[in-house]
Amino acid sequence: MPDLDRRALLRGMGVAGLGLLGAPLLASCGAADRTPLTAGPVGIRLWTHDPGYVTTFETAIGEPGLVGDSEFEFRLDVTNAAPPDIITRMITQAIADGNTPDLVGLVIDQFARVMGSSIAENLFVDLTDVVAPLGDELLKLAPYTVDGSPYSLDADNSITVFYFRQDLFADHGVPEDAATWEELAEHGERLSRDHEISLGVVSTGDNLAVANSFFQFFLQRGGQVFDAAGELALDSAEAVEVLEFMTEGVRSGFLLGLPDPYSSAAAAALKSGRLAAIAMPNWYNAYGLQANVPDQQGRWRMRTLPRFDAGGHLASTLGGTGFTVLKDKPGTAAALDLLSRVFLTREGQLLRYRSGGFLPTLRSLYRDPELVEVRDEYLGGQRVFDVYAPAAEDLPLFHQAPAMQILTDVLGGPVLDAVRGRTSPAAAIEAAIVAYREQVKR
Amino acid sequence: MTNQTAHRPSVPRPTAEEPEKPATWWSRNQLRLAPYAFISPFFLLYGLFFLVPILVGLYLSGTEWAGLGTPQWVGLRNYQDLLGDRSFWISVGNTAVYVLFTMCVVVPAALLIAQALNARGLRGRDMFRLAYFMPVVISPIVITLVFGLFFEREFGIVNGLLRAVFGFGGIDWLGDPLWAKVSVTVLVLWRWTGYLTIFFLAGLQNVPRELYEAAAIDGAGPVRRFVDVTLPSLRPVTAFIAVTVLVNTAQIFDEPFLLTQGGPGESTLSVAMFIYRAGFQRQQLGYAAAAGVLLFVVVFALGLLANRALGVGRDNR
Repeated sequence: MPDLDRRALLRGMGVAGLGLLGAPLLASCGAADRTPLTAGPVGIRLWTHDPGYVTTFETAIGEPGLVGDSEFEFRLDVTNAAPPDIITRMITQAIADGNTPDLVGLVIDQFARVMGSSIAENLFVDLTDVVAPLGDELLKLAPYTVDGSPYSLDADNSITVFYFRQDLFADHGVPEDAATWEELAEHGERLSRDHEISLGVVSTGDNLAVANSFFQFFLQRGGQVFDAAGELALDSAEAVEVLEFMTEGVRSGFLLGLPDPYSSAAAAALKSGRLAAIAMPNWYNAYGLQANVPDQQGRWRMRTLPRFDAGGHLASTLGGTGFTVLKDKPGTAAALDLLSRVFLTREGQLLRYRSGGFLPTLRSLYRDPELVEVRDEYLGGQRVFDVYAPAAEDLPLFHQAPAMQILTDVLGGPVLDAVRGRTSPAAAIEAAIVAYREQVKR
Repeated sequence: MTNQTAHRPSVPRPTAEEPEKPATWWSRNQLRLAPYAFISPFFLLYGLFFLVPILVGLYLSGTEWAGLGTPQWVGLRNYQDLLGDRSFWISVGNTAVYVLFTMCVVVPAALLIAQALNARGLRGRDMFRLAYFMPVVISPIVITLVFGLFFEREFGIVNGLLRAVFGFGGIDWLGDPLWAKVSVTVLVLWRWTGYLTIFFLAGLQNVPRELYEAAAIDGAGPVRRFVDVTLPSLRPVTAFIAVTVLVNTAQIFDEPFLLTQGGPGESTLSVAMFIYRAGFQRQQLGYAAAAGVLLFVVVFALGLLANRALGVGRDNR
C-alpha cells in the first residue's frame, strides 16, 4: 500500500468531494434523456403569454370526455412570458441544451421570426399530416405555413367585426346596417362635426400598432401583404386606396387617431362616448369593451364589417396565436396528442370557446347548434354566431414572410405620415416599399 | 526557526532509515502559486462573463446567424452594410441628440438643483431630495403608462393643460417625429436629473465653507461665489458625472423604448434599440453584433477622450 500522509488524504477527499458535488451539476447541464414517451404520465412544458390558454389546457386535461382515451396522463408545467421573450428564450434554450418547451404559443407577428434560416423546420413538428384529414375544414393555417408546411395551429380565428353603440346610432340617425364604409363615413363626418363622435379608430402609436391598423383594412379590401410565396404584395392600388380611406377618415373625424385601441386614450374615448363604433377582432369584446366600459353593457352590438365600395371581403382578421409542438423531445408525441384533441376536435373547440372565448378554427363549428345559440349578455343578449358565421366564411387569407418585422418597421412611419397629412398615401406606400427592399436585401 | 521547531515536537522527522520523499511539483510550487489561486476567482469570472462575450460578439459580427445552426462567416460585410444602412445612421443621429441634450441640459440642471437643495435652512430638504430621486426607482411600466397619458394627443394631460391655459393643445407629442424626440428628452430629463443631483449634492457638501466665507469677505455675491468657488471645487465630480453620463446616454435604450418604441417611424430610434431590433426582432444576430461592436468602439473612444479632456482620476491641484 503506498504511503498516504494526512495532507494527501485530505486533498484526495477534497477532490472526491468536489467530484461528487460536481457530477450532478454537470449531469444537469448535459442533454436530458431524449427517449420518446409513448404512454403513461407525462409532464408537458407549456410556454405561453396568455393565461387564457393556460386555463384552456388545464381544463382540457381534466376532461375525461376529451383526453380520457389518450395513452397519456397529462400534467402541465406552465411558463408565462411576454410574446417576444418566448421565441428568444426558446431559441436560446435550443442552442444551449435543448431544454425547450414541448408546446408553445407563438403570437402571430412573432411567428415570422422562425420563418427564416430553417428555424421552424429544425425546431417544430411539421403538421402537414396532422391537418391533412381535415381538408379545408381548418380556417387559418396560412400565417403559420413555411414553404408549404404548417407548423402551428391557430388558437382563435380572430375575426374582425364592427362593434357599435346601438343607443348612439339611434340617437344620431346612423343606420345600423350601413352597407359600405363610404356610407358610414358620411354619417361619421357629420357626427364628428356636430357632436365630436367618431365611428372608428386609426392607430397612431408604435409601428406595430400603426401597421396592424392598416393591415386590417387592407386585407378586408382584398389586398395581400405577402403572397403565398412570401413575396411582398403591397405594391397595389388597394393599398393606396385603403390608406386614402384612413387618411380621409382621420381628417374628417370619422375615424379617431389613437395610439392603439387598448390604450388609456381609447378607454377615455369609449367612456366619454366620443367613440361610438370600432372595427376590432372578436376578443375586443372582453379585453376592450367589457374591460374599459362595463357600465355600457347592453348598449353595444356587433355586426359584420361594412364593405368597401370597390369590393373586398365581409370580414377581416387581426392578430392570433399559433400553438406549436417542439420536435424530437420525449414529450413530443404527448404534446401533439393534447394539441390535436384541444384544437382539432369539436369537443376541444367548444371547450376553448367556453374557457377563454376563443373562436373556433374549424369551419363547421360556426353552424354547431351549441354555438349558434350562444348569446352575449354584454351585447344585449345578441346571438354572436349569427355575425361570426358569415364572417368566417369570407375571411381574407393572411400570409406572412420572414421579413414581416422589417415590413412593420418600415411601414409604420410612412402610414403615420400619410394619416397626419405630412405626405400623400401613394408616396407613403412607395416609401415603405423602397425602405423594405433596401433592408430586406441583406 | 529553532524555537518554532521546539514547539512542534509531534511532527515526525525523517530518519536515516526513511529516505526523504521526492518533492512533488505541487509542493515545490505551492507557495509561489497560492496568491494566484486566491485571486483567480475574479479573473475566472471576468474572463467568463466579460472577455468571452466580447470575443464571441466580435466573432459573431463577422457572421450571418439567425440563432440556430452554424453561423456563416461573411467577414466585414455586416460592417459594410451598416455603413450603408439609413436606419443605422438615423439611430446614430438620434443618439447624438440624446447625448447632447443630456450633457447640455440634464447635467447643468442637476447642478443647479443640487445647489438649491444645498442651501442652508431649506425647509423640507429631505422631501425634495426624495422627490427628485424618485424617478430613478419607479418601475418602467409605470413610467410608460404615466408618460403615455401625459403626452397623448387627444386625451393627454399636457395638451389638456395647454388648451386650458393657452387655448391651444393639438401637439402630436408622440406622433410627430420632432415632438416625439422632445417627449423622449423630457423623459430623460425627468428620470435622470434627480439622480445626478445626488452626486452633485455630495460634492457640494465637501466644499470647505471657509472658501465661501473668504469669498464673501472679499465682496463676492452669490453668482460670483458659485462661479469662483463652487464650480472649481466641483470639477472632479463634474468630470466624473460628465463621463459616466456620456457613456450611459450613448447606450440609451429605456426611454425611447418605453415611450415611443423608437417611433414614429424611426424618429426616436437609438443605436441600442437598433441593436435590440436587429437581434431580437429580426433574428439578425451577426448584424446586431456588428452594430454592438461599432457602438462599443465609439463609446470607448468617446469615454477615453472625455476622460483625458476632463482629467478624471487625476490630481488637479
